[in-house]
Amino acid sequence: MFKTARSRFQTWVTAGAGTIAALLVAGLMGAFGALPAHAPPQLPPDAAIDAGRWWVQPARAYVSRAKVYGVALKPGQKALVLETDLTNRTAQSDKAYFNVFKPDGIDLPDPMPMIALARDQTLTPELHPGMTERMAYVWPLAGDAIVPATLSFGITAEIFKPRDNLYGTPGWFNPYRLGTVTMPVADLPESGS
Amino acid sequence: MKIRAIGNLAILAATVALSYGMQVSKPHYAELTAPIPIDGAMHDTVRARSFDVRLDKVVFARTLKTEQFGQERLLTTSGLWAVATTNLAATGTSTTVADGTWQGPTGLRYHQTERLSYRQDMPPHAVDPGLDRSGLFVFEVPPDQIRGASVLIAARQFAPLDAQARISLDALPIGADGQPADVLPEYDMDAAVPSVQGKS
Amino acid sequence: MSAVSTDLEPAGDDRQAEKKGRRRSLVALAILLPLTLAETSYDSVREWLRGEDLIARDVEFGQSVPFGGSEWRLADLRGGKAGRLPEHTFAVIATFSVTVGDPDLQKQWLGCKVMLTDAAGRRWLPDFISGVSLPDGVMNCTSAIFSGAKKGDVITVGETFIVPEDAVKTIRPAVGLGSERPWFLRFQRPPK
Repeated sequence: MFKTARSRFQTWVTAGAGTIAALLVAGLMGAFGALPAHAPPQLPPDAAIDAGRWWVQPARAYVSRAKVYGVALKPGQKALVLETDLTNRTAQSDKAYFNVFKPDGIDLPDPMPMIALARDQTLTPELHPGMTERMAYVWPLAGDAIVPATLSFGITAEIFKPRDNLYGTPGWFNPYRLGTVTMPVADLPESGS
Repeated sequence: MKIRAIGNLAILAATVALSYGMQVSKPHYAELTAPIPIDGAMHDTVRARSFDVRLDKVVFARTLKTEQFGQERLLTTSGLWAVATTNLAATGTSTTVADGTWQGPTGLRYHQTERLSYRQDMPPHAVDPGLDRSGLFVFEVPPDQIRGASVLIAARQFAPLDAQARISLDALPIGADGQPADVLPEYDMDAAVPSVQGKS
Repeated sequence: MSAVSTDLEPAGDDRQAEKKGRRRSLVALAILLPLTLAETSYDSVREWLRGEDLIARDVEFGQSVPFGGSEWRLADLRGGKAGRLPEHTFAVIATFSVTVGDPDLQKQWLGCKVMLTDAAGRRWLPDFISGVSLPDGVMNCTSAIFSGAKKGDVITVGETFIVPEDAVKTIRPAVGLGSERPWFLRFQRPPK
């Protein structure tokens, strides 16, 4: 009787230790997670920024009321344009640059920008390893939208995992807010750029 | 009893060693499902699973001239344009060959350009058994990625366990500075004879 | 856990029963493992079979056979030199006379594929040839699906092909339909 009671206790302890450890870790992580997050840092606007897959170097931002880089606007619309140099840091051609920039504090009818190659207006081409290209992000805006004279753009980066947890394949995961770049926004007259 | 314990320990140790060995030597999922390369050289016919390909020539140029909707377009690049002319045929069944990649000497992969609009002589190439046809693959590459490069040609872009022709470009004439011996200032895509057939 | 259970030595009968149970489990494993494999791969195998023209059903020339809810007959097979084709290649037109049975062609004829096969087992799919067009009243398989043909209608389905010279002597037209795969029809050539 005594023997079985002791072994039962042992069993409980063995089985319970893992659970207790898991509860402790989860509790601690929850407590740390509840701490106020650091604000994303301000990034220098005049130097290349390492944003995961891309080196990015914003060149200029402006508001256009005419067709820019082949991107036609609907009547009554204007567009916020960000021209930036992008360099593919990875080992293969890639076009995952859609979410790299996002203007802060502006009401976008469509959060997905149109992105054109400045060289010849090709829409969203793949960019090749190490070959820097000037790209234009074009966000259509309502015609009466108010754009401040300086605007901050949030930059999203991803981290590289040599082996992801599901398939063990290499790739870019876990997008996070790297920081913001503040740019003056010129307001171009009707004639366009 | 003691011998049994030692035996058990030995078995345990052997199991741990075996498991560890299997873990470190196990190929990764990406390797297990990668395309199967079939090596070849320029001017050789490389026999992939569903198609045969022969890389005839590679022309380097600073700009490409094409015609699009009746308008002339000049395409510039920060590197060089590489226009690879291939001879293609299907092996067993009519099929398409759609994917070309320029692989630099260190393994950087330059996928075929997306800056040209649809053309008959650009991928996807429709190929038939017993009928040779020529097809172009056009790449944008930095000049330092040409010596020791190879061209990878596959039926589709994401084709696990399908064949991929890997054609080494060692036969390309390279100058003393590591750059291609001959770079045209401009390459006219439409100067060649247009093809008269295609898939309906 | 083992530290707990080895405390108690099982009695002789129990041991016998345990041995038997283990042996049964081993035998069951040998049966269940292949069964599991078959069960998990069943869907993939079926889907693969549905997408491939694997098993030929040979049809004599002049004969009509039911296929995909309609009656198929090879009407004509003719080849020739077309002006701008390269040397040693031939243009071939194959036409079929089809009596529509089940008019739901979008379901029955889904994935319709007209092809040419040769003695070596090679297969050619239709090509567009500039300067060679189908005769009047002949449509290709895809447009036949959307032609709105009714039950009892007789339609002519045809395709053009480019074939190398060495295959021309042995080519035979074939038809595959989504609703009939893995079976497909392979027609005997018209007599010369």
